[in-house]
Amino acid sequence: MGMEAVDALIGILERKNLEWEIYWESGRSGSFRIERERLERSQRKFFSGIGLRVGINGRTGFSYVTGLTHDRETLEGLVKRAEKLAKVGSVPFRGFPSVEGKLPAIKGLYDSRIEEMPFEEAYEMAEEYSGMMAELKEKKGREYTFSGGLGLAFVKRGLVNSNGVEVGDGKTGLSLWAYAVRKGNGSGNGYHSQSYTGIDGFDEAGKIITKALDDADASYSAKKLEPFSGEVLIEHYTLQSLVYLFLENLYGESVYYGRSRFSTENIGDEVTSEKLTIIDDPTVEGSPGSYPFDGEGSPGRGKELISGGKLRNFLLDHTYGSLLGLGSTGNAVRDFRTVPHIGTSNILVGPGEEGLEDWDGVIVSKVFGEHTANPVSGDFSLTVELGYSVRNGEITPFRGNMIAGNVFKVLKRVSRVGKEMERSGAFYGPRVASELRIV
Amino acid sequence: MEERILKMAEKAAAKHGVEYFEIRIARVSAVSVSMQNGQLEGLSSDLERGISVRAFKNGWGFSSANDLSRAEKVIETAMKIAKLSKGNSGIYKGDPVEDRAELAGRIKLEDVDLEEKLKLVKEADKLLQGEKIKNRGTSYGEGTKEVLYLNSVGSEIRTLTSRVRLRLTATAMENGSMQEYWKAFGGTGGWEIIERVDVEEWTDFVSRKARELLKAEAPPSGEFDVIMDPELTGVFIHEAVGHAAEADAIKNGESIFIGKLGERVGIDELTVVDDPTLPEKFGSYTYDDEGIKGRRVEIIKKGILSEYMTDRETAAVLGLEPNGHGRAQSYAHQPLVRMSNTYVEAGSWKPEEMFEEVKHGLYMIGDKGGEVDVASGTFTFGAREGYIIENGEIKTHVKDVSLSGNLLEVLRNIRAVGRDVEVSFPGYCGKGQWVPVDDGGPHVLTRAVVGGLR
Repeated sequence: MGMEAVDALIGILERKNLEWEIYWESGRSGSFRIERERLERSQRKFFSGIGLRVGINGRTGFSYVTGLTHDRETLEGLVKRAEKLAKVGSVPFRGFPSVEGKLPAIKGLYDSRIEEMPFEEAYEMAEEYSGMMAELKEKKGREYTFSGGLGLAFVKRGLVNSNGVEVGDGKTGLSLWAYAVRKGNGSGNGYHSQSYTGIDGFDEAGKIITKALDDADASYSAKKLEPFSGEVLIEHYTLQSLVYLFLENLYGESVYYGRSRFSTENIGDEVTSEKLTIIDDPTVEGSPGSYPFDGEGSPGRGKELISGGKLRNFLLDHTYGSLLGLGSTGNAVRDFRTVPHIGTSNILVGPGEEGLEDWDGVIVSKVFGEHTANPVSGDFSLTVELGYSVRNGEITPFRGNMIAGNVFKVLKRVSRVGKEMERSGAFYGPRVASELRIV
Repeated sequence: MEERILKMAEKAAAKHGVEYFEIRIARVSAVSVSMQNGQLEGLSSDLERGISVRAFKNGWGFSSANDLSRAEKVIETAMKIAKLSKGNSGIYKGDPVEDRAELAGRIKLEDVDLEEKLKLVKEADKLLQGEKIKNRGTSYGEGTKEVLYLNSVGSEIRTLTSRVRLRLTATAMENGSMQEYWKAFGGTGGWEIIERVDVEEWTDFVSRKARELLKAEAPPSGEFDVIMDPELTGVFIHEAVGHAAEADAIKNGESIFIGKLGERVGIDELTVVDDPTLPEKFGSYTYDDEGIKGRRVEIIKKGILSEYMTDRETAAVLGLEPNGHGRAQSYAHQPLVRMSNTYVEAGSWKPEEMFEEVKHGLYMIGDKGGEVDVASGTFTFGAREGYIIENGEIKTHVKDVSLSGNLLEVLRNIRAVGRDVEVSFPGYCGKGQWVPVDDGGPHVLTRAVVGGLR
């Protein structure tokens, strides 16, 4: 592996009668916080560590050490701890993945300019971003306050196991967010964020602030809407909230332990509107949710979770894939401090063919309070952060209402799917129409 | 080692013209055990060391590493960043403090064998079994944090804090319908906190509640009189009042409470407190992560907005006293203004008198989390269950209930505050970082929007 501690650890483990997996990480993150249009706090963090999983007699143990430079005694201590936890506990061990062909080559996940960027240069970039906010404040006036942040990070990771898997990669990231508050006779606020894998994402900095500003203006003039039930247009962000609530039922662990609405017998069943397709795909070029291999070394691969409304796949790691008799889908996520657990990569809701630009009716743009929803029953009631009512072309913003419904029913009743796609982080989706109750 | 690190920092501060700095060196040990449906899912016992340096010169520079061999790099980086800063913030420096504080309880967590913790989880898992229970989950987590805090004023504070938490969950299923219920216990201290939990009684309660919720109806929707139980009062007051009274939201021009100190925001009987000094509560601490002693803050006193929660920076900028509310998730995070244990003080109403006040409304019980938009004051929070109240009497059982409202309106609408205060609802609060908190209060009667399916 070319790393002394990892090589030494392999040496210790190979002399023992056990199966093992070493996962290491090393990286740096820098972030900048803008308050009232001024760059007020900046930070740079360094992190590294090694996580070790062992399998002994059908049981597994895990432990980690921080840092990548260790003497033999520390590494032997790490092995002993993992062994002890495997012996004391009875966490089931279903083996580690074996080599499964070539890893996908995914372009655009690593931008050397981020790793090599001196702090001063990153600072200048953050200052440029705060300068954009200050300029806008100057133009818009005292009613407005802008805050935000910029983050830059890189991580290098590697995994090697006793089945011969030996993989490594590097990834970079840039994240930007902006928050605009308007306070006059009333108050309004808007938030927008985006993440990228390369430095060129900064070209969209102005757009991010403008989106936050537009939402703050809309929110400023928004009032509550009269309650009603019926078809509404669900915009990208609200769809994202609903889709992630639904996806909790597709995690292999929930399926295996009976906490999901679905079981393996439901594969092939129609569970949403036939107009919906939901894909988990870690191989999207230049996307923040992409990876060539997951947290266990299994190759990343795209898979349809829902297609034509039918359940096709669950999200699985090696353990739950094996327990359910389905195999891993390459959805193990982790850092060196944790054992792998199931997660999503990039989630793509397929586009439809509808224009949906001339919607006459209610549009729900952004909601909050998603964690109060009940994923097992599917019932939710969320507060509308921003929505619009369109009547004969006249647009009136609203907020403060709640939307209530059942996620399974709402996704089942999707009647139209827009053709325009939008991205926020690792979620890609269109606008859709379905039935909701506005309280 | 500490002396060497401090000397290095002083030298770097002089070189970069840094006005103020602080160093946190931490040693954290953590154990977690989790089980689902009789199968052990996770078992870990870990130890971590790390260092962070925060430096101030008009604005902040921060750097951290989970590897003490990088101490010099971390010091240099934080100082260099602070030097670059062109911010216009301020900092309260205060006097040096030399102290040791221990909140580790009577029975130290490290003195209890891992096998004992495993036994507890296995026992709870077994007891959660029952008719219609399709899934049962138990998780136990503990952490002991030893922190050495040093700053440029000459403070040297050593703290040792242990926290422990046990969570029981049951999911019931019948005819394709599923409902879950959970209950968490915990606090700041030792194993005695866990020993006090009657596992048999609570596992029975949790699995019974999950079953009962299968028969519960969807709640109605619209604006209603609402009686919140002590747990829900806690999450309401945390979300709706607490976050808006964090001084960074005031300093940054975001909170709906800006300029409202001294104004009436609720009835005379409403007093809202945040107090990190409450013994054994999950959000308790002696010193915050800026080396300031945590103290009780009366956010709302007899209906009047009285105090914000502050840290060193917001205190200096807003001309207030720091009250020890600068908290960080770990040594690798910068402190932010955060709550500790937030609750509503006792009023004069007996709960039964409150129910008599409600002709048609809801009794809402248990916390399912919440969220607030501090700029508009709009908040939402979920209850684990509820009952419809008709002419003062508790009637239909309802499930999946969420409430929403505007902070100022809902506070104004509080009509009655109960006598029965309870603060024992350990949880975590997220604000970019996660910190342990507790909250609670008595039964409270107000009016809010209920987002039901009927």
